[in-house]
Amino acid sequence: MKRLIAMFALGAATPALAQTAAPPIAITHAEAWTMESDTPVRDATIIVADGRIVSVTPGGAAPEGATVIDAKGKPVTPGLMNGATQIGLIEVSSSADTRDQASADDRNPGFDPARALNGNSTLVDLARADGLTRALIYPSPSRQPVFSGEPVIARLRDGADILGRGDVAAYAVIGGGAWDRIGSRAQQWAVLRKALTDAKRAGAAGEAADAGKRRGGPPPGRGRHDEGEALRDVIAGEIPLAIQTHRETDIRQAIDLTREFGIRVVIVGGAEAWRVADALAQAKIAVVLDPLTNMPESFDQLGARQTNAAILTAAGVRIAFGMVGGGIHMSYNAGMALREGAGIAVANGLPYADALRAVTINPAAIWGGERITLTPGAPADLVVWDGDPLEPSSIALNVIVEGRTASTRSRQDLLAERYRDAR
Amino acid sequence: MPMAGRIGWMLVAGLSLAAPAPGDAQRAAAPAPGQQDPFPSRYVQPRPDDMLLRGATILDGAGGRIDGGDVLVRGGRIVAVGRALANPGVREVDAKGRWITPGVIDVHSHDGTFVRPLTDIDREASDVAETATPNSADTWIETAVNAQDMAFDRALAAGVTTIQILPGSTPIFGGRSVVVKPVRAPTVWDMKVAGAVQGFKMACGENPKSWGAEKDQDGPTSREGVIAYMRQRFIEAQEYRRAWERHRAGAGPAPARDLKLEAIAGILTGDIRVNLHCYRAGDIAAMLNIAKEFGFRIGAIHHATEAYKIPGLLRAAGTCAAVWADWWGFKMEAQDAIRAEAPLLEREGVCVMMHSDSPADGQRLNIAAAKAAAAGRRIGIVTPPETMIKWTTSNPAKLLGLDTQIGTLAPGYRADLVLWSGDPFSVYSRADLVLIDGAIAWDRAQPRTAPVSDFELGRRSAQP
Repeated sequence: MKRLIAMFALGAATPALAQTAAPPIAITHAEAWTMESDTPVRDATIIVADGRIVSVTPGGAAPEGATVIDAKGKPVTPGLMNGATQIGLIEVSSSADTRDQASADDRNPGFDPARALNGNSTLVDLARADGLTRALIYPSPSRQPVFSGEPVIARLRDGADILGRGDVAAYAVIGGGAWDRIGSRAQQWAVLRKALTDAKRAGAAGEAADAGKRRGGPPPGRGRHDEGEALRDVIAGEIPLAIQTHRETDIRQAIDLTREFGIRVVIVGGAEAWRVADALAQAKIAVVLDPLTNMPESFDQLGARQTNAAILTAAGVRIAFGMVGGGIHMSYNAGMALREGAGIAVANGLPYADALRAVTINPAAIWGGERITLTPGAPADLVVWDGDPLEPSSIALNVIVEGRTASTRSRQDLLAERYRDAR
Repeated sequence: MPMAGRIGWMLVAGLSLAAPAPGDAQRAAAPAPGQQDPFPSRYVQPRPDDMLLRGATILDGAGGRIDGGDVLVRGGRIVAVGRALANPGVREVDAKGRWITPGVIDVHSHDGTFVRPLTDIDREASDVAETATPNSADTWIETAVNAQDMAFDRALAAGVTTIQILPGSTPIFGGRSVVVKPVRAPTVWDMKVAGAVQGFKMACGENPKSWGAEKDQDGPTSREGVIAYMRQRFIEAQEYRRAWERHRAGAGPAPARDLKLEAIAGILTGDIRVNLHCYRAGDIAAMLNIAKEFGFRIGAIHHATEAYKIPGLLRAAGTCAAVWADWWGFKMEAQDAIRAEAPLLEREGVCVMMHSDSPADGQRLNIAAAKAAAAGRRIGIVTPPETMIKWTTSNPAKLLGLDTQIGTLAPGYRADLVLWSGDPFSVYSRADLVLIDGAIAWDRAQPRTAPVSDFELGRRSAQP
């Protein structure tokens, strides 16, 4: 009951009201990466109150009564955001009863993972300890190809409830591979096109307006009846269509879709996106990619290379990093792998500030249009580091989520401390 | 040639062992059939590129550090390491601001057998391990290695100069490993390192038991079943070994050759070194007891995600730990893995090394070391770079029985080394120059000369 009231409060009141209990925080002597420019503000004082950033001022004074964190000249960045991961939906990936990434329901299309999101997961604790405060949580392929369901945004606050926002996008997977249940990718595109055409027709008949009215309801996500509903929102321009795909020919198909249907597409994966960089820039298609990939998992990814991020950025494509490291790392190290991947992208020619954008403001913009710069009025998710955040050897000293200091101790810390003196 | 090579490496192995394994006396005799290598190396040492690298930060791999140091490489060997070396008339490389370390050694790879891109044939019938039976002791993984795996090229460009390819962990007795150089060649034998101690893969815990529990498989279905299965096979191998010894002493007929028993008997004599896939502390402790019972030394526990709970047991057994920095949680026996494992084991005097199990992670073993060291820092254990580098160079060389040849920058060692663009533990550093046996195998300044596998050749989507 208490929880219900809290949810209503969150849904109805402004975040500022809901957060009044949090005392103000002043971070002094920070190398503040505001993400407004390519260089940091030196010796900055960052004031946080009511869940928002109040000010970022060089040499500014800490207000009376504020909790002071002395950054000692070290970097402070917005909390990192992983552009595609499955933390909160997995605990032990080898055990089906701890996995919630996919619907296996043959009869009911549509899948909203919001109700499965688990902030008590050990994966979430470790990701937060590594500086992650936000993540796009995507669903795995369902039994209704080509659709997986609808990703959600997680806010890595302390506690079980880490849902930020549901209904972020419609998510489809296209390409070769064992998941494929309807055969040729030509058929996969045909299914997607037919669904979009149906949604367009339904939208023209006025159903999109109804869907629009239902938006903004209380979390968790509203649990759509079918994929068609999400696609009507895609057609209406309210949410993007995420297409997880890698091969150059498929990316070109996606570009054609944006033109024909006038929709916003986000490419996820995009191992060969660098081959289509200019066309992607022209079509304003963002790419969420794994900067570590340089070998093809499948024939779709023969062009995989670590210069993908640098080439796309130089061409003017907005990129974010996600699914970083693939396999185990993309979720079990959702914070660390993200930082390591961004660092590797820099080693492969991506300018440093662009790499930081790809793990902060870019994924936030791509998946929700939110600005998470360190500027007055922005949500107060930020991290104080003991060194360069893109160096895996750096440690997140303080992680602040929604204006509150969040836990940076994971189960790994407790085990390490318990056995520190084992002989 | 195989015979001479064989005796050579027996000497090396004998010297490198802290405590000689039982059976050394028997090995002095002419090798039994099971001791011969039916797949000898055809690796040819490349034409040397003699050079003097000047003014680098040198981590020698054995715990030493020289700032502003030089390395002289001639005839495939390291001739001198020190400050202000005299140039005997070789090419000079300005290494100021850059770092030099021994080449990275990855002791746990499936390159050439878990080949990308993965296709149906390898999903249905994988070469990673022979899984028709829990006892694949008769297999040699090199007979499956596809030299055209692009993973070798990626490893080389990342500063890896030696790779041990192990069979997978589904069978209890996985079979023999092979040690290779990541150089372009038509077959694995043109890459194979002669003189390494013959490695062997064993596995305990979840992987073998879950295979046994699958329908139509006849392996053990429990941890206790796996352990019992191992002991029974070692008892059989003891008997097989005795029969051969009786025969060689003229006291009995030659036993029928049995490839499985030959390999397991080789473990008992110390000719073959066990690389054991094992996670939980209890599993590791049980295996160390089996090694004691049958009188052999396990070379390394691989993955060893709970070794940090029992460092003393590994130290006392002279068994190394080959670990990840940050693989954890993905299965029940990996729940307690921690990033601080390597620094905790190092502090307790255990021979520890980073390993990859993955062609992606194998490109960043030094970064794995950096993550591990950072986790150590969180609990107050500071590991300096000259110690961290042991985890990817001299300690793995020990496991392979190659520690008098590679893994350390010292006069007389084979010149496997990397000139890094910066601190090798920084994510931004690149391998500028990689030498294998004193020859340039990778030069980042000459991308046109970069090795390209036959597989990638002519595939348009991989080319700009």
